[in-house]
Amino acid sequence: MLFLFLPGTACSNEFLRRDAIAETEEFQLAGSDAQILQSRGYLTLMRRPPAFCIAVTAVFAFANIVRAQEPAYVPPSTLKKLSVEQLVDVDVTSVSKYPEKSSEAAAAIAVLTQEDIERAGVTNIPDALRLIPGLDVAQVDAHTWAISSRGFNDIYANKLLVMIDGRTVYTPLFSGVFWDVQDTMMEDIDRIEVVRGPGATLWGANAVNGVINIITKSARDTQGLLITAGAGTEEIGFTSIRYGVKLTDDAFLKIYTKYFDRDSTVRPNDSDAHDSWDMLRGGFRFDWQSNPENAFTFQGDIYGGDQDELYHVPTTTFPFAGRNSGTDNVAGGNLLGRWSHTFAPDNELTLQAYYDRTERVSPVFGENRDTGDVDLQYRFDWGERQKIILGGGFRATHASIDNSLNISFFPNDRTLKLYSAFLQDEITLVPETLRVTVGSKFEHNDFTGFEIQPSARALWTPGHAQTIWGSISRAVRTPSEAESDIRINPAPPVPIPPGLLTIIGNPDMESEKLIAYELGYRIQPISQLRLDATAFYNVYDDLRSLEPLVPGPVSPTRVANKLFGETYGTEISATAQVLSQWRVEAAYTYFEAQIHREEGGADSRSEAAAEGGSPHNQFFIRSLVDLPWNLHFDSTLRYVDDLRMPRVPSYVTADVRLAWSPRNNLEFSVVGRNLFDDRHPEFAPTFVGTQRTEVERSVYATVVWRY
Amino acid sequence: MALLKRTGAARLAGLFMSILLEISGTDLLGQANPAPEYQLKAVFLYNFAQFVDWPPQAFSDAQAPIVIGILGDDPFGSYLDETVRGEKVNGHPLVVQRLRRLSDVKAVHVLFISESESDRVEQIVAALRGRPVLTVGDTEDFCARGGMVRLLNEKNKIRVRINLEPVKSAGLAVSSKLLRVADVQR
Repeated sequence: MLFLFLPGTACSNEFLRRDAIAETEEFQLAGSDAQILQSRGYLTLMRRPPAFCIAVTAVFAFANIVRAQEPAYVPPSTLKKLSVEQLVDVDVTSVSKYPEKSSEAAAAIAVLTQEDIERAGVTNIPDALRLIPGLDVAQVDAHTWAISSRGFNDIYANKLLVMIDGRTVYTPLFSGVFWDVQDTMMEDIDRIEVVRGPGATLWGANAVNGVINIITKSARDTQGLLITAGAGTEEIGFTSIRYGVKLTDDAFLKIYTKYFDRDSTVRPNDSDAHDSWDMLRGGFRFDWQSNPENAFTFQGDIYGGDQDELYHVPTTTFPFAGRNSGTDNVAGGNLLGRWSHTFAPDNELTLQAYYDRTERVSPVFGENRDTGDVDLQYRFDWGERQKIILGGGFRATHASIDNSLNISFFPNDRTLKLYSAFLQDEITLVPETLRVTVGSKFEHNDFTGFEIQPSARALWTPGHAQTIWGSISRAVRTPSEAESDIRINPAPPVPIPPGLLTIIGNPDMESEKLIAYELGYRIQPISQLRLDATAFYNVYDDLRSLEPLVPGPVSPTRVANKLFGETYGTEISATAQVLSQWRVEAAYTYFEAQIHREEGGADSRSEAAAEGGSPHNQFFIRSLVDLPWNLHFDSTLRYVDDLRMPRVPSYVTADVRLAWSPRNNLEFSVVGRNLFDDRHPEFAPTFVGTQRTEVERSVYATVVWRY
Repeated sequence: MALLKRTGAARLAGLFMSILLEISGTDLLGQANPAPEYQLKAVFLYNFAQFVDWPPQAFSDAQAPIVIGILGDDPFGSYLDETVRGEKVNGHPLVVQRLRRLSDVKAVHVLFISESESDRVEQIVAALRGRPVLTVGDTEDFCARGGMVRLLNEKNKIRVRINLEPVKSAGLAVSSKLLRVADVQR
């Protein structure tokens, strides 16, 4: 479970280019090649009719060849991605080689920028994540999602670390994320960085199959007034207001509030699923650069919402099952402070602390949780060829749980402590050609004690247009409170006393372990085209299983570690700037899991869920077109293969958005999502007896006004 | 040429020429892409527009452009135009203007004083004294002669030198992000 990172924005790029870390919000880091991917083409043909552009594209290509005889030409879009700190470091004699350096990430990384989010017209974070290659996003009901990377998807998916501005938002309750409460103003998101594969060396336990880092804009970048409002078929109404003010030359403050009301989904038989919800949230962020060496950030959010839900619950009397139609009340808040001190451009200390509270009250379960976390990180250059980053942190989390017949915890009140430290060294073996990064995370948790998570990565850049990288890493997924303490009495499908099907936690559960092997290749054959391919082979041991207490078809089960297995797959993505006003992005993901029972293991159900809960094939293609008259037309076609456990058929659907800006501070847009069918299922409930629902077609209109 | 411009044929020819220019990315008069050094310097100018705060009176309204002026011979070719095309800073679009004479410097926010004007740097900065114009140059002793920001080539890297006194007296505020990497003269 840890973090170990700090500067809220740049941190996840630690992997990639630590020399960029001192840079915070204003500039996108050159560190992520995906940002370069996003770069607009530098064709100088903007604002000319498309037909004309097509005609001259070929000529342009020729001109580029001619150009090779002239001074090296680097597209401005490439240099503009660099921070000033990086700009002063560019060697003018090798400037044409510099852009390729920015694709140097020895990990499978993808970045979704504010522009990508805005042009998709999405209203929530899970829908934004559908645009990231390799992520598996499935909506379960109006306010529940199952999101994972490289397999093991579930509502309670537990191998992904998710952070918002450096605050870990996965819950130790089940080592997963309550996606319904992870939200902010979509306009405030600067970017979403996703690393697929283990990120445990820097990030710690739970960063087993991936890390999602959501980074919001600084107060400096959100000055003035912004108002959005919209309504539609599923999005009944939504609005947000943001106001940013400059306090002094170096201090900025913003405040925001957001409200939405979402319609219910439908059940497979077309009846209403009674799962509509609404949520109100607000927050602030204060950024102060007191002098060139010291930067402070202080931010916080508070939210509350109501979610209707229909539960199948166990009862003590015949037929031992009933329905409970109720409302889940969710609420929470957080405060985070961060101080970073720069001793020299590549020598920086960052201290971060946060407090987070979450409350969830439902007919089957209640949870109040308080979390406090402190992290310290220091990075510096050691000699000419080594970049060191090290840090440590402490987290305490206290949960108080309201038990019900359906779900209960023993104990139902406990505090967990987590200590962690990490060290990483990036060594340049051959300047500009070969680099290796080695490091390890060490942590101590209350369930399994010490855990060590080392990794080694190598990056080779033969020639200047391609990058080859590889890695071997070990990661662990530490047990959750549920796995240790829970007792679930599911509503029985046939009239039998619910105790016969009870799932019982196991305080002696061990960590799930992964050894991951990854290979990656990136190439930019021409400046308008980037390709990125990764392949992985993951070997898991001690995966969670639910072992029957007595032999036979009907028995209570107990948490154990009697599964192991291998997963493998590939993720391929491409971005083409076909014309300066037309960008196309595509991604294909292939995934396969082979899970096995250990000797004595009898949990074929978990085995089937791990093998069958994620699609074998996923594909999307996205087109972003700038039209005359300040119109933008963006469309996405998505295909998701079928799931075998739960049984969900494959689907193809499309999302489109048309936006018009009559003035540069005003924009109208119309969005259609899931257009190809009235409704389709994407996942099914697990563990808790909510209903199967399907995602409906949705159309909404939005207006955005800035002053 | 002035006479020709009035005819439709010449206008068409002009359009054709400009298309050709854009296609080839080079100046048909023989000037090729700017040297890599000036490609980088163009991006620095773009960055300055983001890292400097002008007083409100420097803009006629919230959508008024931030003007990057080039006084004297233009070392950037079309590269600077490409760099700022479509870019906005706090709602202000960025535009480039080429200026022959000091009297042409009107609503300019960043003024690059080209090498061709190096003989009269003092005269230019004196004329602009107190006005919210960020003067940038890359000639010898630019800061010592009263200029605000000098881009200098040191060991093949571009360094930024900032002369803080004239910056402040012009009512400009330079972000600490920029100051952090710059060589600041107080």
